[in-house]
Amino acid sequence: MGAPYDRGLIEDFGRFRYFSAGMWAWVLHKVTGWVLIGYLFAHIAVLSTAIPAASDPEAIAAGTDLYTRTIQGLEGIFLVRVLEVGLLAAAVFHMTNGIRLLLVDLGIGLEREAEGFYVSVAVTAVITVLSIPVFLPPEVVPW
Amino acid sequence: MSDSDADRTIRPETSGLNSEDPEEPESDVTESTGETVTLRIFRYDPEVESKQDAGFDTFRIPTHEGMTILDALIEARDEQDPSLTFRHSCRQGVCGSDALFINGSQRLGCKTQVSELKEPIQIEPLPHHPVVKDLVVDMDSFYERMRAVEPYFDPDDPPPDELTERYQSRENREDVKLSTRCIWCGACTSSCTIASNEDVYLGPAAINKGYRFYADEREGEDRAEERLEILQEHDGVWRCQTQFSCTNVCPQDIPLTEHIQQIKRDATKADLRFW
Amino acid sequence: MTDRRSRFESGSIAWFLQRVTAVVLLFTLGFHFLWLHFVNHAAEVTLWGSALRMDRFVYFIMIVVFLVTAAYHGLNGIYNALLNHGLSGRRRTVVFWLLTIAGTVLVIQGIRIAVAMAGVIS
Ligand code: HEM
Ligand code: SF4
Ligand code: FES
Repeated sequence: MGAPYDRGLIEDFGRFRYFSAGMWAWVLHKVTGWVLIGYLFAHIAVLSTAIPAASDPEAIAAGTDLYTRTIQGLEGIFLVRVLEVGLLAAAVFHMTNGIRLLLVDLGIGLEREAEGFYVSVAVTAVITVLSIPVFLPPEVVPW
Repeated sequence: MSDSDADRTIRPETSGLNSEDPEEPESDVTESTGETVTLRIFRYDPEVESKQDAGFDTFRIPTHEGMTILDALIEARDEQDPSLTFRHSCRQGVCGSDALFINGSQRLGCKTQVSELKEPIQIEPLPHHPVVKDLVVDMDSFYERMRAVEPYFDPDDPPPDELTERYQSRENREDVKLSTRCIWCGACTSSCTIASNEDVYLGPAAINKGYRFYADEREGEDRAEERLEILQEHDGVWRCQTQFSCTNVCPQDIPLTEHIQQIKRDATKADLRFW
Repeated sequence: MTDRRSRFESGSIAWFLQRVTAVVLLFTLGFHFLWLHFVNHAAEVTLWGSALRMDRFVYFIMIVVFLVTAAYHGLNGIYNALLNHGLSGRRRTVVFWLLTIAGTVLVIQGIRIAVAMAGVIS
């Protein structure tokens, strides 16, 4: 007998067109979780500027210390603002789908898990759209 | 040969072999609606040179009311290409041998109506298993995992004498009822991305089988505790990511995710107890 | 049956803590986002403003709880995802310790920042 045929990785992710709600929820929960933990490390790195800055009271009073300059400098970059909206979207989805997963773990509403996913996506979309004016006020938009 | 075969026009056995565009089938078949269905069927045969490169063959099959995918496959094999290989036995959703990947999800060929599906209907062997030939896969890794949960009734105490029946309460019967329906078709385990690696995860069918005995009060408390241990080994319930794909595809409508979650909660409660 | 497994190796405790930290994070992360993006605006953050917030004991404690739970939840989440992909044996041990060290460094650095901020006022 010849060798059995191994269909390889295509088995999983090549089939994304066929994914059901629960599968999409799993993929998105993963992606958003990794984004959040990645952000946490970056965030702590940026905030670390507070440690050297804290020993210079005059600069702090004038608002020209390293920490203030770093954060305001970053916030002045349009791309950073856009990424912040993305971060909010990731966080909101991870939270709402996280609630769905917690209910599933408690054995609540298992027959309606698909609807739970659609609600998570809808809530994420609404909150993200509503937050755009907060993150991207007219004065930071370069055009 | 099925009983309706007599009505069908017998065609030369080689006519559909590996052809992308088989001839139009005869339309004067009795019982047929006169319509045909197009199937794209996965082909692979390590022993035939032209089929060593896996690919798809297209078949046009005359349909009749109530035709299932399995009926269509039998028709394709008997009337068009006798080398087409697939497993089946009972034709009524009992034996569990014809779980296939049909239009993107795991279904039993004999329980799926041709008329419900969008054409061309794509039929592939069960994912996450090595393909032996055409639609036949090697299911050893599935059976091995089923055996790993010790899938047999094994009470703490033997019955007082061998002929005593062991009664189960009505309530307890309800608890295990759905889990007993499993026909070992492997659809669920094939649909789970984590279970694709047999060393990583027992998969839903095996856990459901473990649950079936764990929840059965007649086995006794000691055995229940042991069962919980088996089900939460490193390849046990903690690998479940609640993708729900298993519950969605199970042809017996077993609430697999619910049973897995029940085991997780019971195991956590047992471990958090320190008194 | 093999010998009695340890509670901490089985996964039940890690699974449970992932859920408990998720509930805590629901509140802390929600508060953090509201407070620093909708009530106060990130673009107007100054060290003085951060220090004023951090000077409140309740806020300081909340931020530390947020940090510790997020670090555990995030890194345990990654560890779990890798186990699901078949991480095992020696590589599993190495990854476990790498993640533990990364989490410890993250928490210590985070607490140093919080202390430095609170120290600005006085
Ligand atoms: C806001 C509240 C949050 C809730 C309700 C929540 C909920 C959850 C739950 C229930 C899981 C487990 C999924 C599973 O194993 O099936 C999970 C995974 C995860 N969470 Fe969260 N989470 C929250 C916040 C966070 C934060 C702040 C981070 C980052 C620091 C984070 C990072 C992760 C990661 C990396 C995973 C693993 C993803 C994977 O499977 O690859 N989560 N979350
Ligand atoms: S649980 Fe359902 S899908 Fe899984 S093997 Fe049993 S019958 Fe098939
Ligand atoms: S042929 Fe027996 S289950 Fe389909």
